[in-house]
Amino acid sequence: MTHRKKLLTGLCALLSGVGGAALATDSVPGELPRHELPPSKDGNLVLGLCDGETSLEVKGVKEGEPLSRAQALEVTSKLMEEWRRKNPDARWDVVAQAPAPKPPGPANPQGPRSPPAVAPTPQKPSAGKSNQAEGPTASSGAPGMAEKKDAHVQTGHTYGAFSQRDEELWAASTQAFVEEGNRVFHDADALGSKVAVSCDMCHPDAANTHPETYPKYQVQFGRVALLRDMINWCIENPVRGKPLADNDPKMRAMEAYIYAKRKGVPLEFGKH
Amino acid sequence: MRRGARVSWMLAALLCAGAASAEDPPKGAPPPKLPPGVSAILWKISVPPGREPTPEKVALGQKLFLDKRLSIDDSVACSTCHDPEKGFVDGLPVSEGVEKRKGMRNSPTVLNAMFNATQFWDGRAPTLEEQAKLPILNPVEMAMPSPEAVVAKVRGIPEYATEFQRVFGREVNFDDLASAIAAFERTQFSGNAPFDRFLLQGEEKALDASAKRGWALFNGKARCNECHAANATSPLFSDQKFHNIGIAAHKQDFVKLAQQGLRVVRTGDEKQIDELALQTEFSELGRFLVTKQDNDVGSFKTPTLRNIGITAPYMHDGSLATLWDVMDHYNKGGIANPFLDGGMQRLGLTEAELDDVVAFLFTLTDERYTKLNAKELARQRGRKNVRPERDTAVALGKKGSLGDIGFSPNVQVKNPADVGVYGDETSEGKTADKAKAPAK
Repeated sequence: MTHRKKLLTGLCALLSGVGGAALATDSVPGELPRHELPPSKDGNLVLGLCDGETSLEVKGVKEGEPLSRAQALEVTSKLMEEWRRKNPDARWDVVAQAPAPKPPGPANPQGPRSPPAVAPTPQKPSAGKSNQAEGPTASSGAPGMAEKKDAHVQTGHTYGAFSQRDEELWAASTQAFVEEGNRVFHDADALGSKVAVSCDMCHPDAANTHPETYPKYQVQFGRVALLRDMINWCIENPVRGKPLADNDPKMRAMEAYIYAKRKGVPLEFGKH
Repeated sequence: MRRGARVSWMLAALLCAGAASAEDPPKGAPPPKLPPGVSAILWKISVPPGREPTPEKVALGQKLFLDKRLSIDDSVACSTCHDPEKGFVDGLPVSEGVEKRKGMRNSPTVLNAMFNATQFWDGRAPTLEEQAKLPILNPVEMAMPSPEAVVAKVRGIPEYATEFQRVFGREVNFDDLASAIAAFERTQFSGNAPFDRFLLQGEEKALDASAKRGWALFNGKARCNECHAANATSPLFSDQKFHNIGIAAHKQDFVKLAQQGLRVVRTGDEKQIDELALQTEFSELGRFLVTKQDNDVGSFKTPTLRNIGITAPYMHDGSLATLWDVMDHYNKGGIANPFLDGGMQRLGLTEAELDDVVAFLFTLTDERYTKLNAKELARQRGRKNVRPERDTAVALGKKGSLGDIGFSPNVQVKNPADVGVYGDETSEGKTADKAKAPAK
């Protein structure tokens, strides 16, 4: 079993689990099913996990009362423990980072079929960096630019004539977008949580989000889901916020952040 | 509550003291307090390492910038055409140098010029330093005969002789003079406009309903963002590219002029191009003078739209008096010529929509020019019925065929500008952060 496959199996196990049972299976078409939480006898706060099944009563906190971040961290880790107890065989990867690139293998003994026609294109800044690298720095190409008069000569079609400066700005704009997603992902208030829960509590550094497997069938929904559908599912439970609109800038930024964390992982849409 | 206020005041004072006593920021770092409409990344990309403005250079540069003695007859300073009081422009169609000699181009603002990828309307200078030298030597501007003459004249002014020694540790020379002026110009960034308060700081009332509709049109039907794009990382409202939008086409035979021009500029150096650009009919060839490429005939740099309300008249030759004229020009798809940019199409904007886009453009003016902006808006509005560029029949598609007309966005349903067009920070997020701040 490859490393990746193990990770995916872990996710799959979490998402399918014993799932479905607690979900309203006869939901109205067009309306997504919901995770109905069992009410507490004492009116205590009940928090649900995103598997659509596991929930936990928070002793000493009434429904509607706010939680501190410390309390929320405690509750979410208990929820995770409970899920792990129920699913001892499921794998839950704790790092989001893409696997390190393989070192170049031995040269093809038979030699290439034909010589390459053109030199390989150097990686452009706008293509982003590996997720271990730092952001753009003051020295990412700017120094030489001003001196090179001819660098600004626009050749070919106006709209295709992009300079290093353009690419640096694109890369920086994208990075800013990802950073905003990072902020929202870690900010319970920004997510609209009433119980101080934020995404990072179950998904530190966006671990186990597996954006490369969407769209895919999600058992909780009983239908094919996009990444944003799953984000919204988690925003309802356990975050306890109001689902975001598809074009909400926070949603867009979080998607950017989650994808950025999996840079380099092959696209495996539909995979469980 | 009072005590709380006092404590936080003291805390703020302590923090300030800490900041003031801290050592100089690391080399190459932007100034600690940038306005919301200027990004640290843009600053870093735009300021070459080693050319960060220092207070001494800035003070000297400012003095030089305002000093008429840099011209042949002590009558023209940099600030003559780039008047700080008027948003660093002169308000004239084309600038006037010594003895009221006229050039061919409209003076662009120094505000945010430090962020330009190239300087001048045709981008013939790569840096502010290179740019600063050329007007001093141009016969229709400050008209000094040579760099040596400039240096000799400045050396003869005792205060400068000592000042240059103090700042640069050597005798006056032309490069240091230019770098002092450039240092001053690198402090003239501007990003404190009502638009910034609206979008980046979540102040809903900073823009009125008309300006908000204008922002939607800007990113939609009016297609301004195709060249005047901006986001939180690069909030300049300019792609820094060169486009032929047909401004001078009604008075030029571009093909013939380009053929003649090519013969002349084939061996041209920067100074020769500078003179052609300001003294001859070849000025209208624009970027072509620099690149000698056909597709650059009649194209000029996309200027920043920041402070556009106070920098009339418009275009490289100052031929359009108001922003309504500018909008009329674009609305009919520019003026046809063989080198017209492919992005130029009629827009089909109605009168009300034109008003909205103009209202939006006036929200891009820095707050230090609020009064001037209001005055300019009133003046331009007063000229709304003088519309030489207006051609409603073409603009609305009743005559000619210049392309497809976009649809008017219904901002009640969705404002296209809301969806990450400008930046990634939501007004909502900003407001939430602001509300949280005092609690911490």
